Amino acid sequence: MAAESPTSVRKVVVHLRATGDAPILKQSKFKIAGTDKFAKVIEFLRRQLHRETLFVYVNSAFSPNPDELVVDLYNNFGFDGKLVVNYACSMAWG
Amino acid sequence: MFNPSFPPWLWIPCPKYHLSSSHKVEGPEYEANHYDFHIVYSPSYRVPVLYFRSYYSDGQPLSLSEIEKDLPGYSAELLLESKWTFITQEEHPYLNRPWYKLHPCGTRDWMKLLLSDTYTSSNKNFIEQYLVSWFSVVGQVVGLKTSLEMLNIVG
Repeated sequence: MAAESPTSVRKVVVHLRATGDAPILKQSKFKIAGTDKFAKVIEFLRRQLHRETLFVYVNSAFSPNPDELVVDLYNNFGFDGKLVVNYACSMAWG
Repeated sequence: MFNPSFPPWLWIPCPKYHLSSSHKVEGPEYEANHYDFHIVYSPSYRVPVLYFRSYYSDGQPLSLSEIEKDLPGYSAELLLESKWTFITQEEHPYLNRPWYKLHPCGTRDWMKLLLSDTYTSSNKNFIEQYLVSWFSVVGQVVGLKTSLEMLNIVG
Protein backbone atom coordinates (compact mmCIF):
# COMPACT_ATOMS: atom_id res chain seq x y z
CA MET A 1 0.00 0.00 0.00
CA ALA A 2 1.31 3.41 -0.93
CA ALA A 3 1.51 5.83 1.95
CA GLU A 4 -0.79 8.80 1.54
CA SER A 5 -0.67 12.04 3.40
CA PRO A 6 -4.00 12.59 5.16
CA THR A 7 -3.63 16.35 4.80
CA SER A 8 -3.58 16.37 1.00
CA VAL A 9 -7.12 15.77 -0.24
CA ARG A 10 -6.67 14.94 -3.88
CA LYS A 11 -9.10 16.61 -6.24
CA VAL A 12 -10.38 14.88 -9.33
CA VAL A 13 -11.58 16.67 -12.46
CA VAL A 14 -14.93 15.24 -13.58
CA HIS A 15 -16.09 15.89 -17.14
CA LEU A 16 -19.87 15.58 -17.47
CA ARG A 17 -21.09 14.61 -20.92
CA ALA A 18 -24.76 14.60 -21.91
CA THR A 19 -26.11 11.82 -24.10
CA GLY A 20 -29.16 11.95 -26.34
CA ASP A 21 -31.64 14.65 -25.37
CA ALA A 22 -30.24 15.14 -21.85
CA PRO A 23 -29.69 18.86 -21.13
CA ILE A 24 -26.10 20.10 -21.39
CA LEU A 25 -24.74 21.80 -18.28
CA LYS A 26 -23.31 25.32 -18.49
CA GLN A 27 -20.28 24.07 -16.66
CA SER A 28 -19.34 20.61 -17.83
CA LYS A 29 -16.13 20.21 -15.84
CA PHE A 30 -15.75 20.51 -12.12
CA LYS A 31 -13.43 19.40 -9.35
CA ILE A 32 -14.49 17.04 -6.63
CA ALA A 33 -12.60 15.56 -3.68
CA GLY A 34 -11.29 12.10 -4.51
CA THR A 35 -12.52 10.90 -1.14
CA ASP A 36 -16.13 11.64 -2.13
CA LYS A 37 -18.33 8.81 -3.24
CA PHE A 38 -19.68 8.58 -6.78
CA ALA A 39 -23.14 9.11 -5.25
CA LYS A 40 -22.17 12.77 -4.86
CA VAL A 41 -21.69 13.11 -8.63
CA ILE A 42 -25.13 11.55 -9.22
CA GLU A 43 -26.71 13.85 -6.63
CA PHE A 44 -25.05 16.88 -8.23
CA LEU A 45 -26.48 15.93 -11.64
CA ARG A 46 -29.94 15.31 -10.22
CA ARG A 47 -29.93 18.73 -8.58
CA GLN A 48 -28.53 20.53 -11.61
CA LEU A 49 -30.89 18.92 -14.08
CA HIS A 50 -33.92 18.72 -11.78
CA ARG A 51 -34.42 15.15 -12.87
CA GLU A 52 -34.97 12.25 -10.58
CA THR A 53 -34.41 9.67 -13.25
CA LEU A 54 -30.91 9.75 -14.62
CA PHE A 55 -28.71 7.06 -16.02
CA VAL A 56 -25.14 7.89 -15.03
CA TYR A 57 -22.22 5.93 -16.42
CA VAL A 58 -18.49 6.14 -17.07
CA ASN A 59 -16.51 6.00 -20.33
CA SER A 60 -19.67 4.88 -22.18
CA ALA A 61 -18.97 1.46 -20.73
CA PHE A 62 -20.44 0.80 -17.29
CA SER A 63 -22.46 2.23 -14.44
CA PRO A 64 -20.39 2.60 -11.25
CA ASN A 65 -21.76 1.67 -7.87
CA PRO A 66 -22.66 4.88 -5.97
CA ASP A 67 -20.46 3.69 -3.09
CA GLU A 68 -17.26 3.77 -5.16
CA LEU A 69 -14.80 6.52 -4.30
CA VAL A 70 -14.23 9.07 -7.05
CA VAL A 71 -10.46 8.70 -6.73
CA ASP A 72 -10.69 4.92 -7.26
CA LEU A 73 -12.74 5.46 -10.41
CA TYR A 74 -10.28 8.09 -11.59
CA ASN A 75 -7.27 5.85 -10.97
CA ASN A 76 -8.84 2.98 -12.90
CA PHE A 77 -10.78 4.74 -15.63
CA GLY A 78 -9.60 8.33 -15.84
CA PHE A 79 -7.48 9.62 -18.68
CA ASP A 80 -6.10 12.99 -19.80
CA GLY A 81 -6.32 14.05 -16.17
CA LYS A 82 -10.08 13.66 -15.88
CA LEU A 83 -12.87 11.22 -15.27
CA VAL A 84 -15.50 11.21 -18.03
CA VAL A 85 -19.01 10.77 -16.65
CA ASN A 86 -21.86 10.37 -19.15
CA TYR A 87 -25.50 10.94 -18.28
CA ALA A 88 -28.76 10.24 -20.04
CA CYS A 89 -32.35 10.97 -19.09
CA SER A 90 -34.98 8.31 -18.97
CA MET A 91 -36.02 7.39 -22.47
CA ALA A 92 -39.57 6.66 -23.49
CA TRP A 93 -40.27 3.06 -24.23
CA GLY A 94 -43.36 0.99 -23.97
CA MET B 1 -14.39 -11.55 -5.20
CA PHE B 2 -13.45 -11.30 -8.84
CA ASN B 3 -10.76 -13.78 -9.75
CA PRO B 4 -9.05 -12.99 -13.09
CA SER B 5 -7.78 -16.56 -13.35
CA PHE B 6 -11.34 -17.78 -13.88
CA PRO B 7 -12.29 -18.50 -17.49
CA PRO B 8 -14.15 -15.72 -19.33
CA TRP B 9 -17.94 -15.47 -19.45
CA LEU B 10 -19.57 -17.52 -22.12
CA TRP B 11 -23.05 -18.40 -23.28
CA ILE B 12 -23.93 -22.04 -22.86
CA PRO B 13 -26.50 -23.01 -25.48
CA CYS B 14 -27.66 -26.20 -23.74
CA PRO B 15 -30.88 -25.37 -21.84
CA LYS B 16 -29.91 -27.72 -19.00
CA TYR B 17 -27.20 -25.37 -17.79
CA HIS B 18 -27.19 -21.80 -16.63
CA LEU B 19 -24.81 -19.47 -14.85
CA SER B 20 -25.73 -19.08 -11.24
CA SER B 21 -24.52 -17.79 -7.94
CA SER B 22 -25.95 -17.20 -4.52
CA HIS B 23 -25.19 -15.04 -1.56
CA LYS B 24 -26.63 -14.31 1.84
CA VAL B 25 -28.03 -11.10 3.24
CA GLU B 26 -28.03 -10.67 6.99
CA GLY B 27 -31.38 -9.18 7.89
CA PRO B 28 -32.87 -8.14 11.23
CA GLU B 29 -32.65 -10.66 14.08
CA TYR B 30 -29.62 -12.08 12.27
CA GLU B 31 -31.82 -14.29 10.20
CA ALA B 32 -29.93 -15.05 6.98
CA ASN B 33 -31.86 -14.48 3.77
CA HIS B 34 -30.62 -16.63 0.92
CA TYR B 35 -30.60 -15.42 -2.65
CA ASP B 36 -30.09 -17.43 -5.83
CA PHE B 37 -29.34 -15.56 -9.03
CA HIS B 38 -29.52 -16.89 -12.57
CA ILE B 39 -28.61 -15.11 -15.77
CA VAL B 40 -30.81 -16.40 -18.56
CA TYR B 41 -30.82 -15.25 -22.17
CA SER B 42 -34.20 -14.04 -23.37
CA PRO B 43 -34.74 -15.02 -27.01
CA SER B 44 -37.68 -12.61 -27.35
CA TYR B 45 -35.86 -9.51 -26.02
CA ARG B 46 -32.46 -10.81 -27.18
CA VAL B 47 -30.77 -9.70 -23.98
CA PRO B 48 -29.62 -11.38 -20.76
CA VAL B 49 -32.15 -11.34 -17.92
CA LEU B 50 -31.43 -11.58 -14.20
CA TYR B 51 -33.70 -14.04 -12.41
CA PHE B 52 -33.62 -14.48 -8.66
CA ARG B 53 -35.40 -16.12 -5.78
CA SER B 54 -34.93 -15.70 -2.07
CA TYR B 55 -35.75 -17.77 0.95
CA TYR B 56 -35.19 -17.99 4.67
CA SER B 57 -32.92 -20.62 6.18
CA ASP B 58 -35.94 -22.91 6.62
CA GLY B 59 -36.65 -22.71 2.89
CA GLN B 60 -39.71 -20.47 3.16
CA PRO B 61 -39.71 -17.90 0.33
CA LEU B 62 -39.51 -14.18 1.07
CA SER B 63 -42.35 -11.94 -0.05
CA LEU B 64 -41.54 -9.12 -2.46
CA SER B 65 -41.94 -6.57 0.36
CA GLU B 66 -39.36 -8.48 2.40
CA ILE B 67 -37.01 -8.59 -0.61
CA GLU B 68 -37.39 -4.83 -1.07
CA LYS B 69 -36.00 -4.32 2.44
CA ASP B 70 -32.82 -6.13 1.33
CA LEU B 71 -32.36 -4.06 -1.82
CA PRO B 72 -29.75 -1.30 -1.62
CA GLY B 73 -31.95 1.79 -1.21
CA TYR B 74 -30.21 4.35 -3.37
CA SER B 75 -29.21 2.51 -6.52
CA ALA B 76 -32.26 0.29 -6.54
CA GLU B 77 -34.51 3.33 -6.20
CA LEU B 78 -32.70 5.10 -9.03
CA LEU B 79 -33.10 2.21 -11.43
CA LEU B 80 -36.51 0.90 -10.42
CA GLU B 81 -38.33 4.23 -10.14
CA SER B 82 -36.92 5.44 -13.44
CA LYS B 83 -38.29 2.28 -15.09
CA TRP B 84 -34.87 1.43 -16.49
CA THR B 85 -35.86 -1.92 -15.12
CA PHE B 86 -38.43 -3.27 -12.68
CA ILE B 87 -39.11 -6.47 -10.79
CA THR B 88 -41.78 -8.91 -11.90
CA GLN B 89 -42.54 -12.46 -10.88
CA GLU B 90 -42.61 -15.02 -13.62
CA GLU B 91 -41.99 -18.63 -14.31
CA HIS B 92 -38.30 -19.46 -14.55
CA PRO B 93 -37.87 -20.55 -18.18
CA TYR B 94 -35.97 -23.71 -17.30
CA LEU B 95 -37.02 -24.55 -13.75
CA ASN B 96 -40.73 -23.85 -14.36
CA ARG B 97 -41.15 -22.31 -10.92
CA PRO B 98 -42.03 -18.74 -9.99
CA TRP B 99 -38.88 -16.59 -9.79
CA TYR B 100 -38.45 -12.86 -9.71
CA LYS B 101 -36.79 -11.17 -12.63
CA LEU B 102 -35.61 -7.71 -13.61
CA HIS B 103 -37.82 -6.88 -16.54
CA PRO B 104 -35.70 -6.59 -19.72
CA CYS B 105 -37.90 -4.21 -21.75
CA GLY B 106 -35.47 -1.30 -21.23
CA THR B 107 -32.26 -3.33 -21.39
CA ARG B 108 -31.51 -2.80 -25.08
CA ASP B 109 -31.91 0.94 -24.70
CA TRP B 110 -29.56 1.43 -21.78
CA MET B 111 -27.13 -1.17 -23.10
CA LYS B 112 -26.82 0.90 -26.29
CA LEU B 113 -25.39 3.67 -24.11
CA LEU B 114 -22.83 1.27 -22.67
CA LEU B 115 -21.72 -0.27 -25.95
CA SER B 116 -19.03 2.20 -26.86
CA ASP B 117 -17.35 2.31 -30.24
CA THR B 118 -14.29 0.58 -28.87
CA TYR B 119 -15.92 -2.79 -28.81
CA THR B 120 -18.30 -4.26 -31.32
CA SER B 121 -19.88 -7.64 -31.84
CA SER B 122 -16.97 -8.67 -34.06
CA ASN B 123 -14.63 -8.43 -31.07
CA LYS B 124 -13.85 -11.84 -29.64
CA ASN B 125 -14.38 -10.59 -26.11
CA PHE B 126 -17.72 -9.01 -26.97
CA ILE B 127 -19.88 -11.32 -24.86
CA GLU B 128 -17.66 -10.97 -21.84
CA GLN B 129 -17.58 -7.18 -22.19
CA TYR B 130 -21.32 -7.01 -22.81
CA LEU B 131 -22.02 -9.03 -19.67
CA VAL B 132 -19.72 -6.91 -17.51
CA SER B 133 -21.37 -3.68 -18.74
CA TRP B 134 -24.81 -5.21 -18.29
CA PHE B 135 -24.02 -6.57 -14.83
CA SER B 136 -22.68 -3.20 -13.66
CA VAL B 137 -26.29 -1.97 -13.95
CA VAL B 138 -28.46 -4.93 -12.94
CA GLY B 139 -26.12 -5.91 -10.10
CA GLN B 140 -26.80 -2.52 -8.50
CA VAL B 141 -30.52 -3.21 -8.29
CA VAL B 142 -30.00 -6.33 -6.18
CA GLY B 143 -26.88 -5.20 -4.31
CA LEU B 144 -24.27 -7.21 -6.20
CA LYS B 145 -21.23 -5.01 -6.65
CA THR B 146 -19.07 -5.31 -9.75
CA SER B 147 -15.42 -4.96 -8.74
CA LEU B 148 -13.28 -2.25 -10.35
CA GLU B 149 -10.92 -5.00 -11.45
CA MET B 150 -13.71 -6.65 -13.39
CA LEU B 151 -14.85 -3.30 -14.83
CA ASN B 152 -11.34 -2.78 -16.21
CA ILE B 153 -12.32 -5.21 -18.98
CA VAL B 154 -14.72 -2.63 -20.37
CA GLY B 155 -13.57 0.70 -18.90
